[in-house]
Amino acid sequence: MAEKKQKVIPDEYIPEVASRVVTIEGSDYLVENDAMYTFYERSMGEFSPFFLAIRDEKKILGCKCTKCGIVRVPPMLTHCPDCDFAPTQPVEVGQVGRMNTTPPITYFATSLFLHIAPYGRGRVILEGADTAMSVNLYTTTGILVPGLIKKGTEVKVIFKGERVGEITDIFCVPTSELTPDQITKKGLEESELNWATPKEPVFPKASEEDIAIYKQSLKEMQALAAEMSKSKRARKAIEGWKRDIAVKTKAGEFAMCINDGDFSIEERRLGSPDFVMACEDPKTLLDGLSYKGAITDSVIMKKLWISKNMEFNTIFKLDRLARFLAREKKEAAKQ
Amino acid sequence: MAKKVGIVGAAVTPFKGRWYEKTYYELAQMATREAVKDAAISIKDVDAAFYSIYNDIFERTCIPEHPLHGIIGMQHKPGIRISCGGATGAYTISAAHAYLAGERFKIVLVLGVEKATDCFDFLSMSATPEVIKAIAWSGDSFFEQKLGWSASDSYAEVVLGYMDEHPGDLKPEVTAQISSQLSKQARTNPYAQRQFDQVTPEEVMNSRYIVYPFKELEICVYSEGAAALILAEEETAKAMAKNSGKPIVWITGLGEANEHSFAGKNQKDMSRIMSGHLASHRAYDMAGIEDPVKAIQVVELHDAFVHELEITLAEFGLVPLGRADSLIEEGIMLPGGRLLVSPSGGLIYCGHAVGASNIMSAWSARKELIERNLRTAMVHGTGSTVAQYMACQILEHE
Repeated sequence: MAEKKQKVIPDEYIPEVASRVVTIEGSDYLVENDAMYTFYERSMGEFSPFFLAIRDEKKILGCKCTKCGIVRVPPMLTHCPDCDFAPTQPVEVGQVGRMNTTPPITYFATSLFLHIAPYGRGRVILEGADTAMSVNLYTTTGILVPGLIKKGTEVKVIFKGERVGEITDIFCVPTSELTPDQITKKGLEESELNWATPKEPVFPKASEEDIAIYKQSLKEMQALAAEMSKSKRARKAIEGWKRDIAVKTKAGEFAMCINDGDFSIEERRLGSPDFVMACEDPKTLLDGLSYKGAITDSVIMKKLWISKNMEFNTIFKLDRLARFLAREKKEAAKQ
Repeated sequence: MAKKVGIVGAAVTPFKGRWYEKTYYELAQMATREAVKDAAISIKDVDAAFYSIYNDIFERTCIPEHPLHGIIGMQHKPGIRISCGGATGAYTISAAHAYLAGERFKIVLVLGVEKATDCFDFLSMSATPEVIKAIAWSGDSFFEQKLGWSASDSYAEVVLGYMDEHPGDLKPEVTAQISSQLSKQARTNPYAQRQFDQVTPEEVMNSRYIVYPFKELEICVYSEGAAALILAEEETAKAMAKNSGKPIVWITGLGEANEHSFAGKNQKDMSRIMSGHLASHRAYDMAGIEDPVKAIQVVELHDAFVHELEITLAEFGLVPLGRADSLIEEGIMLPGGRLLVSPSGGLIYCGHAVGASNIMSAWSARKELIERNLRTAMVHGTGSTVAQYMACQILEHE
C-alpha cells in the first residue's frame, strides 16, 4: 500500500517568525506570530483492526454485544456499556447503508479544511449495523447541494485507491449515482466511479440588450469597487489578500483584482488569472457585491461557476466586502 | 438541607472581536475588580475561585487559570477550573453552587474568561478559520476530526435531525426574524460586540451559508472578554445585600445532563436535544416549577445558532416541539410577548467568549430581573459535539 509522503503540518500553514505593532488610540501593542504544537506517534489501540480492515481488506468492521446483540459501527467498544460491560465480538457489516439524518454541508470550514469545502459530513447506518458512522459525503455530479442527500438516502461506501488506515480512506456517495454492479461490489474504489469533470460554462451569443445590461452592471460594479477601496471597514475584509480574477459573462469579460485592501474592476482580459468566475448574467455578481444575496449562494445554486473550488475562500471575502460596505453605508445614513 | 445560594455581585467586560489592548490576564482581573465592587466587598472576603475557561488552545496555555489565581488576589485560597465545552460557564455556576450549598464556602467568585481571536490563519489571513479549527480539536479524534468535524456542523446535524421530524418548523423567514430581534435587543447592551449592528430579516436571509442550514447572520460571533459573578450562601448573601443595597437573585434550581456523543440505537437521537430537556426539567423540579410556561419570564440562552435557540426553547417546554416558530408567529418573544429571550442580544449579537458566555448570560438575567422587577429567569449553557452537554439554572428575584 502506498504511503502518503507529506508533512504532518504542511509547510503552507506555517507562518514565519515575525511581529508587528498595532496602534489603538495612540498606544502601541505588540502582536507576535506564534504556534502551539505537539507531535504524536499515536496508537490506534483497540480500533486498529477497524482501520487495518479498511486499509488492507476494504472491509468495514463493527462490534456485536454477546448479550444484547447490538452491532456498533465504529466498534465502540470491546465491552457493551448497555449490558454491564458484557464482551463484544468483531463482525463485518455491509457497505451500503442509509443516512441516519439529513447531513449538513460545510461551506466555511476550519483552516485545515478550507481547500476541500464545500463538503458534507453525515452519519450512515450500514446494513447489519445499529449505530451510525460519520462519513464524508460526495456526489459524482459536481458540488454537493442541499436536498441531494437526505435522511434515509441510500449511500455506498467508496474506498480511496491510496489508503493509510484513516477514516478518510472511505467516503460515501448516493447509490442512485451508481450502477447495480457498483452497488453490489464490495470494496468499490474511487477510481471506478464516473466523476463529472467541472467544465467552464459556454454562454449563448449576447443580444444588444445583454450588452447594454453588461455595460450598466459593469459601471455599477466599478462604482461599488471604488467605494469599497475607500471604505476602512470594507478594506478589512480583503486585508492581506491578493487575487486576480477573470470574470466571464455572456456579454463580456472583465478583471476583478484584490490587492491587500484595494479592490478594482476593470474591463480587460487577464493573461494569467488566479482563477476564473463565469456567470451568464453579470447582475448575479452585481447583486452579490450590492449585498442583495450572497455570492456564495450563487456558487452553490450554480448561477456562478468558479474554476477552483478552493477559491470559495475568496468568494467568502467578496461576500464580506459587500456586507461591510453595506453596513458602513447604513450607519452613515443613520447619522 | 442544603444551603440556599444567591448571586450578590456580577460584572462583564466589553465583549470584542479582538482585544489587542489586553491579555486574558487583564480581562480576568477587570471582571473580578468590577464584580467585587458590585458586591461591595473586598476580594479578601472571597473564599474560593471557580474558573470557567473552555479551550486551552485559545489561551495558548494548558492550565490557563494558574496565572490568574495570584493576580486576582486569591493566593492561598482554593481554585478550581471547569471545562465542559460550550457549557463551561453554566457548569461552573453549578459547581460553585454545590460547594456553597454544601457549606464548604460562604462567598465564591465565578470567573469566566476567553481570548479566542488571537488564533490566526496565515493562509486565509483571517482569524475565524483558525478559531473554528481550535474548537474542532474538540471533535472525536479517531473517527470525526479528520472528516472536517466542526462545532457548527455538529450542531447543524442536530438541527437537520429535528427538521427531518418537523419539516414545517424552523422556517428560514422565522429564523431570520429571530436574528433581527436579537440584534435589536443588543442595542441597549453597552458590552455587546455588535451593539450597533442591527439587521433586518431580509439581510439575514441574504447572508451567505456558513454550514447548511446556518446563514452567517444566524451564527454567533467569536469574542474576547470576561464575566464574573459573586455567589454567597444564604446568611452571608443577606448580610452582603444589606451592605451593598442590591437585591439578591437566588439560584433556586439547577440541572445538568450529557448525552452520548455518537448516534444510533441506544445512543444520541439526532432529532432531539435530550440534554436540554433533561437539564431544564431537573432544574424546574429543584425550583418547584410545575408549569414553566407560566413561571419563566426571561431566558438567557446559549444561542450560538438561531435554529438551536428555537429547538432548545421547545425542549425546555416553553413552546411545543414542532412549533418552535410560534416564538415569532405567536409573538412569544417579540416585544410585549410572554418571554424575554436573550435580552443581552445573546451569543450572536453580544458575542461568544466561550468560558465567559454563560456567566455573561447570568449577569444579564440578574440585571433584567432587578431592573424590570421580574420574578423568574433561566440561564443555560450547551456544548460539546451534537449538543451533548447541557446545564441550566433557575434564577429568582426575591
